[in-house]
Amino acid sequence: MLSNKLKYFLQQSWLLLVSSFFFGLLIAVTNAALSDRIEQNRIAKLNVLTKSLLPAAERFQPVEAEIEVQLPDGSKEKATIFEALSADGHRVGWSFNAHGTGFAGPVELVVAVDADFRKIMGFSVLASSETPGFGDQIKGDYYRNQFINAPAVRLTLAKSGDPTAIDAQIVAITGATVTSQAVVDILNRFVTQIKDQIQKKGLISNVGK
Amino acid sequence: MSASNGSISSPYSAALFSGLWRENPTFRLLIGMCPPLAVTTAVKPALTMGLSVIFVLVCSNLVVSLMRNLLRPHLRIIMFTVTIATFVTICDLFLKAYTPEMSEILGAYVPLIIVNCIIIFRAEACASKSGPLVSILDGIGMGAGFTIALCILAGVREILATGHLFDIQVMPRAFVPWLALQMPVGAFVTLGLILGLINVLTARKEA
Repeated sequence: MLSNKLKYFLQQSWLLLVSSFFFGLLIAVTNAALSDRIEQNRIAKLNVLTKSLLPAAERFQPVEAEIEVQLPDGSKEKATIFEALSADGHRVGWSFNAHGTGFAGPVELVVAVDADFRKIMGFSVLASSETPGFGDQIKGDYYRNQFINAPAVRLTLAKSGDPTAIDAQIVAITGATVTSQAVVDILNRFVTQIKDQIQKKGLISNVGK
Repeated sequence: MSASNGSISSPYSAALFSGLWRENPTFRLLIGMCPPLAVTTAVKPALTMGLSVIFVLVCSNLVVSLMRNLLRPHLRIIMFTVTIATFVTICDLFLKAYTPEMSEILGAYVPLIIVNCIIIFRAEACASKSGPLVSILDGIGMGAGFTIALCILAGVREILATGHLFDIQVMPRAFVPWLALQMPVGAFVTLGLILGLINVLTARKEA
């Protein structure tokens, strides 16, 4: 009885089983052949973006220390941090990936700070799906320039103010308050927590107060 | 209609050319309408999308045609889907590896080719009933028709929305860009006007 059922099942579906196996194999081979290149593309893009934030940086060295960031849902995640070095091996800053939820979906940023973790050197958007014309203005100069040279402390979002002032107050994009707030929250979460732990671990000799 | 097809002599040329105009998937059959609306803000992503669809369509048509005598009627749709998904995944990996910036612009729309009904429609209507050569030609013809339609839409939208074509300035400096054409509404309006124009032209031809 059981063997009859099994026989019927195999009779009906052998083509699906066999072809699934071969198609899986085909995808695995393609992936194995291309994954290195895809990873290189990702790193190259990250380097180009980070270099535009830290022009003096020549290469980026991953930070080995265990630095964890607590996310809003309570879970912890190991942060990806790079030490930016100039051509003669001097540290010119730090960069790290930060992410969170925006208005329309996940927002991924790369953030750069100066060598002493006192100032934010700026951020770039790695990936986002914010509304064109509104939320996606976080990629624009008006919003991003406000973060350049801002102190690496908790930032606040204001509805109005002077966007050219270099301070911890960020002026929101009109019509995109949720997205503006999301980016500020992401930066606050990652910058303050990473700064704390880097200081505790003694990775910055000259701790700025 | 039949008069214009009088020159088509063999099933091969019929398979190759019907997708270009008579059965153009975008302008005549209005199927697979997601990419024509979503990825036609500029010609480059539209062309990339079109070439990806040609690749997937030709490969899936060939495979479906080769296994057409083994297909069980009640399992055929799942076989089509598995085949299409395989080639779309491969195509997606190639785009990510060799044109990362295009892959980023197209985003989720490349994996979404899996559910593009042009491909499953050709598997059902042509490849599961015809030999490999006819199926390949049909894939090329239908894919090319789709690509051309995408490029026409994208060309109109890119020129009017940015004044550029292939990122090269083509409109005079005094031209004020029509930003609305870059938004979803631009896709609907452009598509509607082109469809209207085509209907007027064919109605005149038939009259």
